Parts: sequence; C-alpha cells; structure tokens
Amino acid sequence: MNTQLKTTSLHQWHTDAGANMADFGGFDMPLWYETGVKNEHLAVLKSAGIFDTSHMACIFVGGKDAFALLNYCFTRQLSSLEPGRCVYGAFLDKQGRCIDDAIVYKFSDTRFMVCVNAGMGGVIAKHLGSQKQAMDLEISDLSGKVAKMDIQGKNSAKILSRLIKNPGLVFGKMPYFSFKGSLSHGALSEGTNQEGVTLLDGTPVLLSRSGYTGEFGFEIFLDPAVILSLWKDTLIAGVPFGITACGLGARDSLRTGACLPLSHQDIGPWKFSNHPWEFALPYTLDKKGFTKNFLGAKALAPSKDDNFIYPFVGQTLRKVTAGDTTRVLDETRENIGRVLSCATDMGIGLLGNKIVSINTPGLPLDLKITGISCGFVMVSKPLEPGAKLTLNEGKRSIDVTIATDIRPDRTARMKLDTFI
Amino acid sequence: MKEISDLNFSENVKYTKDHEWAKLNKDIVTIGLSDYAQDQLGEIVFVELPEVGDIFTKGDEFGSVESVKAVSEVYLPISGEVVEINGALEDNPELVNEDCYEGGWLIRLKPDNLLELDDLMDKAAYLDMLKG
Repeated sequence: MNTQLKTTSLHQWHTDAGANMADFGGFDMPLWYETGVKNEHLAVLKSAGIFDTSHMACIFVGGKDAFALLNYCFTRQLSSLEPGRCVYGAFLDKQGRCIDDAIVYKFSDTRFMVCVNAGMGGVIAKHLGSQKQAMDLEISDLSGKVAKMDIQGKNSAKILSRLIKNPGLVFGKMPYFSFKGSLSHGALSEGTNQEGVTLLDGTPVLLSRSGYTGEFGFEIFLDPAVILSLWKDTLIAGVPFGITACGLGARDSLRTGACLPLSHQDIGPWKFSNHPWEFALPYTLDKKGFTKNFLGAKALAPSKDDNFIYPFVGQTLRKVTAGDTTRVLDETRENIGRVLSCATDMGIGLLGNKIVSINTPGLPLDLKITGISCGFVMVSKPLEPGAKLTLNEGKRSIDVTIATDIRPDRTARMKLDTFI
Repeated sequence: MKEISDLNFSENVKYTKDHEWAKLNKDIVTIGLSDYAQDQLGEIVFVELPEVGDIFTKGDEFGSVESVKAVSEVYLPISGEVVEINGALEDNPELVNEDCYEGGWLIRLKPDNLLELDDLMDKAAYLDMLKG
C-alpha cells in the first residue's frame, strides 16, 4: 500500500476480509471482496449490500447567509427545499465547468450540510469561501470527521429496522431524498428538529434516503468511532437477507446502470450542460432560462463548439476501456468523441430489443440475464436516442446504441412502505 | 491482489512472459492462463476464443479475456492449429479464476514444432520473473 493514501475507519476490516484494494480519490479503498463484483452487484439488486463511503467528505455551512451563498454556488434551486430534504446538484466555476457534484442537506434556513466526493471537502470549502465576500456565515470542512456507510437494496429498511430505535417512526414519511437525525457532536449535532435517529445503543446517526446505486436504500452518516460496530452489526442483522459487503467495483457498475454520473469522469472541468443530468440545473419549465442566477450560469448558454454527453447501451456484456484509447465511431466511421464511462451492468439483459432487469416483473423463465455493457460518451454533435455507434479500441469493437436510460425497474424512488 | 507466495504455480506446465501456460500431453498442447494472470485480471466475465481449425503462429493474439476490471488479450506460446476450445467457458468463464490449470484451460493446439516449448519458462524461472 502506498503510504501516501488515506484510509477510512473500516480499512482494517476491508483488508481482513481479503478485499482487493486500490487508490480512489486518494483513499485506499476496496474494489471488491472475495464475493466478487458480479455477486456484489446482484446482491444489491436482489436484496441488500453495504458500502464504505467514508472517503466522501462533508462540509457544514451555517449562518444567516448560508442559504444565499449555497443558492448562488449550487446548481439546484434551494429556495423550495424544505428542512429534512436533500437535493443533488453541482458546484460550477465561472466558466460553467463542474468542480464537483454534491448533495445539499437542509437542516434549517441557516444550517446546511454538503456531501461531496473523496478529497473534495477542502476544495469545495475553499471554493465556497472564495465566493463568500461579506456574507455572514461559517464554512467548516468536516473531512475525516464524519464517516458514512450506504445500505442499498430492497431489504435495506428491513435490515436497518433491526439496528435503530423506533424504526416505525423513523421510516414513517421518509420519501426519496429526505433525511432524519443528526450526529453526536460538532456542527451537525442539532439535527432538523424532527425526531432523531439513534442506534439501539443510543448513538445518534444521520439517516438519508438516498444512495448511488439507483436502488432503494439509505446513506448513514455517523461518528467515525462507531462505524465499525454498525458495519459489523449490519452484516449480522443482514444474514437472513443475504446482505453482502460491496466494493467500489459494484458501486460503479450499479451507478452506471442507474444512469448516474461519476464526478471527474462523466462530469468534470468542462461545460456542465448537454448531458443526461440537466435535472440538476434550475431550468425554467420552457427550458429557455434559469429560475435563479448562479455561479457559472452565463457560461452554460449554447455555443457552436458544444459537446454532448449521452448514455449508451451495448448488446452483450462486452465492454471497452473508458478514456482516450477508445474511439467513438458514428455510422460513417468518423471518430466523434470519447468514452467517459463503460461498465457492465450484470443485472440487465435483452428480451428481444428491450432491456430488462432481473427485477423486471413477468420475465420468461428461460431468459438468461448475463449483463450488458453501458456507460456515457461525450460526442461533438447532437445524437438522437437509438443512434448507433461503434466503440473501437484497437482490434476490439462493440456496437452500442444511444439511450435515454439504462437499467429499468429500479427501486430507488419507490414508496418506502413497499419495502417493510 | 494476492501475494505471489499465495498463488498456485503448477509444476507440470511451461509459462510465457505474458502469463499464459502450455502443457504437452501426447502430441497436443493445452493452453491457459496462470494463477498470477487470473488474479491480476480479477473476476472474469467473458472469454473470447478462436475457432477449431484456426492456425496461429507463436506470439499471435488468439483471443481475449474480459474481467470486471479490464480486457486483456491472450497470446499463443507456440505455433499450431486449434483442435479444441474449452466450451465450458461460454457459460462459466469464472472457471479461469477458480481452476486455471484444469477446468479453466482455454484451447488445445496441435503444435507445429514441439521445440518451441523449450523457449518457455519452467516454474522456477517464471517465479523469478514475477518477483523481478
């Protein structure tokens, strides 16, 4: 292991479990365990998986002008965000390029938490500080002070209900992208004035109904000192459900299938528009303008040299390497761009021309689902859904189709009651 | 990834610098991937093999192995004609991970020149190369 790499509080557990470890955002993180990426991916689709996501960073923004600063720097319209709700968006620079994506959590009109990617706590805290000017607020980079684990999959609530006090109360009225609870100390200890969330031993946690797999589940923020015991308890409570510890490999294939971007790969230091995540911009209904002024907005106006990002799906599980070694060929064999991400979603297959998931109801019994490659391309001209491309890497080529979505029948947005 | 000391290196095969192995049985050579190669690749999800009857020269790319992590070409340790491919890998590519020297073999070849086997490494030489 490179001694420069940071570790999370679960690092010893990962290595004891025989995980394949690698550098991700400056952290030595598990790519997969002995279970293997495929089984980890399928466990989340069929039942439940847990992920160590403590490499991600939290920032607290509090004070009279906290809302004003965040609403200027973040791409989502925060004026309609209620306390106890969170929202996905991005921080752009003046040129409209994405510095990082994030989820903003609103505790109250004057208290917010921002969750950003690995190693980005300091960067985004500094960025916010640079825009603060005379505003009355406090920005605290909580990198390393808050741990996080995600439990994802349809049995997540059933498993969590064995680990928290008053699960019935906690899970009542908990829609997608809402959160409850607080942390034991520091800036995040005041919570949302709603009922708290505590583990059976009284440890407070912040429970967010969100995740990065496209499937039903939760992200749990807590004190780094207690994550190991919750991690172990979750694996024990999840035994009847076949819960599986999952590494970043399965996290990547699940999020790609769920059509979610990876920051610094699918979104990054280029114009944050003409991509599948335009819901993260505060467009007016007619999409001709924005509902607010925000940093980078002016630079997002269409221009001649715009690029376009689209999801694609292959025909089989065969994939190509993302990056500059792979060419994106249109039907005239002209190279029109680059592959941003390419992964195999092991839980999807083709039924005729239609993509189905192992969670699609009414599948023919003899249908064998072995996975389909998918990802995102950045191309120099607009394409319609259904457009055919060839991704070519040396002697290897795969035929892919531009899509509007990838894995069907995802569970993330379904009513929580469905899963208890 | 495992430590080299935790990997299994069969005594009965010859190795290439690209981490394939070759084993002579009567006049047919079986070819596969070493334990080091499968461990580096990670979980294998697809194996692309040539057709029976294809003729290759030593060093030719004869197929590819796709893992969750990467795609890797495989190269022939010796020249010859493909006489059999491991059909079990179509449905169970993970055999390459689980049993790389037996059930996870890739192809069988009728060699042009058995002397080419002498250019390959035995276990000790291969281990020396891995340990650098």
